[in-house]
Amino acid sequence: MSDKRRTDVSTEILAKPPIVGPGHTAGSVTDKISEVVLARTPKWWFPAFGASFLLLNLLLLALAKLLFEGPGIWGLNIPVGWGFAIINFVWWIGIGHAGTLISAILLLLRQPWRTSINRFAEAMTLFAVACAGIFPLIHVGRPWLAYWLLPYPNTMQLWPQFRSPLLWDVFAVSTYATASLLFWYVGLIPDMATLRDRTRKRFKQILYGFLAMGWRGSARHWHNYETAYLLLAGLATPLVISVHTIVSFDFAVGQIPGWHATIFPPYFVAGAIFAGFAMVLTLSVPLRKVFNLEDFITQRHIQNMAKVMLATGLIVAYGYMVEIFMAFYSGNQYEEFMILNRIQGPYRVQWHLLLLCNVLAPQLIWVRKVRRTPWMVWVVAMFVNVGMWLERFVIVVTSLHRDFLPSSWGMFHGTFWDWATFIGTIGLFLSLLFLFLRFLPMISIFEMRTIVPEPDAHLELDGHGGDE
Amino acid sequence: MTSARFDPPADLDRLNKRALTVGAVAAAASAAGLFLDRTQFFQSYLIAWLFWMGIAMGGLGTMMLSHMTGGAWGLMIRRVFEAGTRTLPALVALFLPILFGLDDLFVWARPEAAADPLIQVKAWYLNQPFFALRAAAYFAIWGVFGWALLRLSRRQDETADPGLVRKMQSLAGPGLGIYGLTATFASVDWLMSLDPHWYSSLFGVYFIGGQAVSAIAFAILMVAFLSNREPMQSAYRPQHIHDYGSLLFAFILLWSYFGLSQFLIIWMGNLSEETVWYLHRQQHGWQWVSLALVLFHFAVPFILLLSRRRKRNVKALAKVAILLLVMHWVDLVWQAGPAFSDHFSFHWLDLTTLVAVGGLWLAAFTVALRKRSLLPVGEPYLEEALNA
Repeated sequence: MSDKRRTDVSTEILAKPPIVGPGHTAGSVTDKISEVVLARTPKWWFPAFGASFLLLNLLLLALAKLLFEGPGIWGLNIPVGWGFAIINFVWWIGIGHAGTLISAILLLLRQPWRTSINRFAEAMTLFAVACAGIFPLIHVGRPWLAYWLLPYPNTMQLWPQFRSPLLWDVFAVSTYATASLLFWYVGLIPDMATLRDRTRKRFKQILYGFLAMGWRGSARHWHNYETAYLLLAGLATPLVISVHTIVSFDFAVGQIPGWHATIFPPYFVAGAIFAGFAMVLTLSVPLRKVFNLEDFITQRHIQNMAKVMLATGLIVAYGYMVEIFMAFYSGNQYEEFMILNRIQGPYRVQWHLLLLCNVLAPQLIWVRKVRRTPWMVWVVAMFVNVGMWLERFVIVVTSLHRDFLPSSWGMFHGTFWDWATFIGTIGLFLSLLFLFLRFLPMISIFEMRTIVPEPDAHLELDGHGGDE
Repeated sequence: MTSARFDPPADLDRLNKRALTVGAVAAAASAAGLFLDRTQFFQSYLIAWLFWMGIAMGGLGTMMLSHMTGGAWGLMIRRVFEAGTRTLPALVALFLPILFGLDDLFVWARPEAAADPLIQVKAWYLNQPFFALRAAAYFAIWGVFGWALLRLSRRQDETADPGLVRKMQSLAGPGLGIYGLTATFASVDWLMSLDPHWYSSLFGVYFIGGQAVSAIAFAILMVAFLSNREPMQSAYRPQHIHDYGSLLFAFILLWSYFGLSQFLIIWMGNLSEETVWYLHRQQHGWQWVSLALVLFHFAVPFILLLSRRRKRNVKALAKVAILLLVMHWVDLVWQAGPAFSDHFSFHWLDLTTLVAVGGLWLAAFTVALRKRSLLPVGEPYLEEALNA
């Protein structure tokens, strides 16, 4: 084989699929993304937002009912004192993690393909954290006293329990929400300026101009901006790990079999990223279709995210396996009973569905055809969305409902209001998402400009090009 | 075309001979120790074997990771990991003595275990035939993946077929998962079951984290050795070294995260069957070993590796790598030791067995390393990596 031919073959096999469709320039990227925001509202938007808004109102109704009547409207009772509120909290906060991972960790790992998905993944993080934050607040029973969770000097001389991970949660989640908001907003500033300059409507010029905080795109602005963005990425990175580690401590530091397992921190963090990537895929596959963004969110993006989903899914499966093995290896009858109760007990359907959704379904990603077909990846991602909710259901409910004393066993069933609150937060999430899609650029315009291939005028001069 | 450029230096032969001599002398001393104090011999030997096995097999895992992720860093040290993988037959041979000392090492393998009801409950897993069978299975599985990857790598050297990159990648994916699984059970067998009552589901992950630290630390030392002489002197650039420094930093953080999580959950749960493991490590001299781990396996290297300059300078980085190799050995002593003796003490056999296994292993390693060029010359990304 001649050297020349070998190079041809190697470029053919090794060439990575592009991260931007062919034929795009800095101008066309700007046009295409800002058009989504500046053009007239598409017709489908109204029914879509309307339906989400209806669900949001269901949430408000459920919350009003809760405030009038108290948590008795939920299915909680002894022995299952933690139910939907905790399940939903963990589910939502986990979903948020993919946004932070994509925007911060992939930035630090120098992965340029993240550029077209980081903006809406970060938005997704914010909205998911907003949904998650509701649940601990209403779960305390008297939300108007929730500020007691904060350590402040008071006349009652009462301090929160600093040794409790539930208190660490307060700090972790509020830090996470703040850092995510800042990161997202700082990333938006140059694009706000673009929108300010492109819109013709006076009101929008003022609004976007206000949000752009006087951005003029000078070299000094860019220099400060890059520094700030990198610093925020560095700050956000440990949060990906710490938030869900502390969430896992909520369970693991207790003594209930099924909660008290040392594998929980890494397995929860992996589960969070798993769920988060599933949600990013759930959103990005339809969005790229509806807004004709296939050139920006390419097949390669879908494939890469599917691979991350598979890898983290395998870590989660490892967690299940180790938990089961240790229950039998430990020789502890309560641990053993907990596992057998999951497999054969009254919640066995949920447990088997969980394995189907979280362990079996993601294995399809190994097949190249599946991970290269967006709708198939989407179907797998939907399985994972359901599976991760079921995982938290199984952890919270099956561990509590039959503990050490058979005389105190019981069952848990979600009531209408449990489901209404949960579905209502999905309405909140989707409402925020549709507003975001309508009013802000869902893909970072200025970052996309940097990855568009440019004809390089210096190719001949600086000695990098040409044959060697 | 470029294969001659990266032929191993002649110094490797000298290293080989020296390792073999030192290893043989230490092995003779250790053998004498076997007759003087049989139990002590096996206790020291197990730790020594785990240490060198972790470097080699942790390297196999890290290599599979690099096949999956791609990038210059993995390519530039692949031959170190490949040579480590090829020491598996030597490691299996060095494992065999342990099978003769099972009742010296493991409470569950002794006759008095019959009087312990909890060990009786676990007898389905903790029994000598199944223990040996499992070890054989781990070695076979690691061997199959290592051998398949090495075969592809050799073919890549010969044909420079670019399609092999993807083949290695698709082998490394499942390989890494299966490695994680088998290493977890191996950690239960070889370390956790020393204290047969105790269990922790994070233990396997902690074990693998430690292996990763030692594998990358050893690779950094090899890079320091090779970059001191031609032909690799001109090949390694500060950018490559920086990647190894960052990787070492990341693995240390991971190890610390696992260690802290395990400790915190057990401490807060405060169940007597679990805390006993840490209580043994908080008294009779072991508390200083625990403290040393926190300081020198986490805090000091963490601070040292924050410096960008240190991460880019191979000599400075090598010093941190030596510290971590020592501390990884201390970590293994800390995990195994309290099961053997309540009081912390140091025996000369700890040192001679470590040197004996290490010398013999290093001899096998250098033989493997010297057989092939020091960089994968058939790799299509090689030029790109060299110019990184």
